[in-house]
Amino acid sequence: MARPRAAPYVFVAPFVAIFLAFSVYPLVFTARLSLTNWRGVGDPMWVGWDNYAYLLTNDRFWSSLWNSAVLWVLIVPVQLVVGVIVAVLLNSAKLQLRGMYRVAFIVPFVMPLVAVAQIWVVLFDEGYGAVNSLLGSVGLPNVGWLTTGTWAKPTLALLFLWKTTGFIVIIMLSGLQSIDSVLYESASLDGASWSRQLRSITVPLIRRTIMFVVVLQTLAVFQMFAEPFVVTQGGPYSSTTTAGYFLYNHINRADLGTGAANSLLLVVLVMALSLMFVRMLRVEDGS
Amino acid sequence: MRTKGPLSRYMRWLATISVLAILALGLVACGSDESTATDPAPTTSDSATTSDSATTSDSATTTSTAPTGNDASNGDLLQAPTEDSPEGQITIWDRSGDLYEVFDATIVRFNEKYPNIIVNHLAVDIDAKLQNTLITGTDVPDGVFLDDAKIGGFSDFLWDLSDVLAPYVDDIASQKVDVNTIDGGVFGVPFDLDPGLLYYNETALAEAGVDATLIETYDDLLDAARDYQATNPESGPIHLEQSPFLGQLQLEMFASQLGTSMADAAGELRLDSPEYEQILTFLDTVREEDLGTRAEYLSPTDIAELENGNQVFYPWAIWFSFAPQQLLTETTGDWRAMELPAWEAGGARSGAMGGSSFVLPREGENSELAWLFYEFLMFDEAGYSAVWGPNDVYPTGLNTSIPSYLPAADPTAPLFEPVEALGGQDLWAVATEAGAQIPGGTPLPSWWAGAVDYLGNNIQRMLDGDLNPSEVISRSTDEIQENLVDRQ
Repeated sequence: MARPRAAPYVFVAPFVAIFLAFSVYPLVFTARLSLTNWRGVGDPMWVGWDNYAYLLTNDRFWSSLWNSAVLWVLIVPVQLVVGVIVAVLLNSAKLQLRGMYRVAFIVPFVMPLVAVAQIWVVLFDEGYGAVNSLLGSVGLPNVGWLTTGTWAKPTLALLFLWKTTGFIVIIMLSGLQSIDSVLYESASLDGASWSRQLRSITVPLIRRTIMFVVVLQTLAVFQMFAEPFVVTQGGPYSSTTTAGYFLYNHINRADLGTGAANSLLLVVLVMALSLMFVRMLRVEDGS
Repeated sequence: MRTKGPLSRYMRWLATISVLAILALGLVACGSDESTATDPAPTTSDSATTSDSATTSDSATTTSTAPTGNDASNGDLLQAPTEDSPEGQITIWDRSGDLYEVFDATIVRFNEKYPNIIVNHLAVDIDAKLQNTLITGTDVPDGVFLDDAKIGGFSDFLWDLSDVLAPYVDDIASQKVDVNTIDGGVFGVPFDLDPGLLYYNETALAEAGVDATLIETYDDLLDAARDYQATNPESGPIHLEQSPFLGQLQLEMFASQLGTSMADAAGELRLDSPEYEQILTFLDTVREEDLGTRAEYLSPTDIAELENGNQVFYPWAIWFSFAPQQLLTETTGDWRAMELPAWEAGGARSGAMGGSSFVLPREGENSELAWLFYEFLMFDEAGYSAVWGPNDVYPTGLNTSIPSYLPAADPTAPLFEPVEALGGQDLWAVATEAGAQIPGGTPLPSWWAGAVDYLGNNIQRMLDGDLNPSEVISRSTDEIQENLVDRQ
């Protein structure tokens, strides 16, 4: 009996249609928009590569990338270390009240960002914030946590870490639970310490999970918008204007052509970074 | 045998992607229907890249097609309905919050006058949704509450209200008419007037022997601040705004007092002027002599410094009145308001800071009915009394702004009551008399908010001591010209 040749195409057609409509078409439309100076009204005017040239020669564009890169350095390595260690602790059979700790770690992730931002603003207020009060009690001077270019990025990174690390812990936990417990039992019988087991069993076997987290957080950091928007409005002096926030500024001013060019440059950058991390994973795997 | 390594595979993959991306860009560019700068050909409404063609309204008013400018001769002028009892449904967007509740409560009274018009009143995040709605032309509301600063950016999507406003325009504060006037058309129904006032802590100043009512010029204000500081050495009597956005807004209030603004009516920059030099020099003097408290508007530091008597002068829009009523629990009742000092003796004693209007998108289905709603709210005594007079939301009336319609802003006929948090002061009289002195203005350019990245930040750099007033002006002028004006 002949197999119905059209059947496979019929089955994948809905996905293809949705993919074309909501992924490919917007991408092509964005590419086309990036070559115009369209502001949402009237006829789009062809400007060629002008938007790209403007961005690539604009200090503020590069500064936004730099801000995101610094935030990446402040966030991702810390999150990996904390995520792995906390996940290992939460995965331990000896730990009492494991469920409670797991919930506690995920609570910041589900809290509304606007509420968290308000807490941050009050905690880190330069004149009357709780953090500076604590510093003052041990004789240290007030720090402009949110009002100086030096400290605004670390303060913002701290908010991001506090809010999202619980989610990373959950991902790491899922990776840990795929490791066969026999490996740990054997290592224990051979006298391997906890830290040796962490280095020689846990980390190598959740490398793919770690890389997934790195890619995920790289995307998140370079697209970070809401945190600076509600806490610092990109300031002071644009020191927390991330790549995502810089892009938003173009869109918000109806400079849609430049915004489209900016978004495509970001796509290329983030894709290149992600590929680099995936490549590193493969090299480590020997594949 | 030598095999290709992972790196070369990666490079090959990346190269392939790059070539495909360039090809795709080239193809879409070749096939595009974009016009050039000299090709003003109208587009059709089904184009994915245009949305400015007007719909055929089912109303009794106008049917306009593909308007591309604001020329009053091309059918962009909204006309009022001619029926005795017009009927239909209108969708009105307002920001959520107290003001939404106030407007919502007026609908009952509006329906007493127009019983056949159904008002679908929605609380909407206008900043987030309006642009997309106007561009796509879907679910376009009939009327929208909008910051004056944003009208310039949307005027191509809006009805020119010159005809319907004609009976009222001579009785509207000129500054409000001016900010809504673009290329000869009027694109918003002016809502509120937000006169700048000088708020001061009368109790604290009296204890220091300083009589604020004697202040007439900004030099007097500096002297009063020096006198206050002499008895309160830890104080920084005058507020210096730390938010770049609000700092720029306050700067424009001072400029409005001097009859100027960042851009002229044609959108040309005019920062490089003696007026801006004078204003920035005043702010720089406050910083240099340590006469100011630098804080973000009503941030924890700001509130604490207002409450402890360190900060006693607050040159701000009328809407600061919210603070003594709601936030300054320790010093409520100690505060008073007066007209701003003048820049020169005998000069204007107020300028505009902020403000909003109502706009009517051309693609709204029943814009002409929405006009009736706004006409009622702003120009009918029953309407504006319902907005500013005592109501369920504001039992003593809405005292954070005054009407821009001059017959409604009569100093002798207050709509809201004296403010207890200002020691029972008649804020209405102070604000309406100040409002009457605000010089005419100009429309705010569409790039106004974007200028915060340059001018707003440079003001802060000056307050840090890193720039002087001349440098703020020259640097901001260059940056705004290059990044905003030239890219329009």
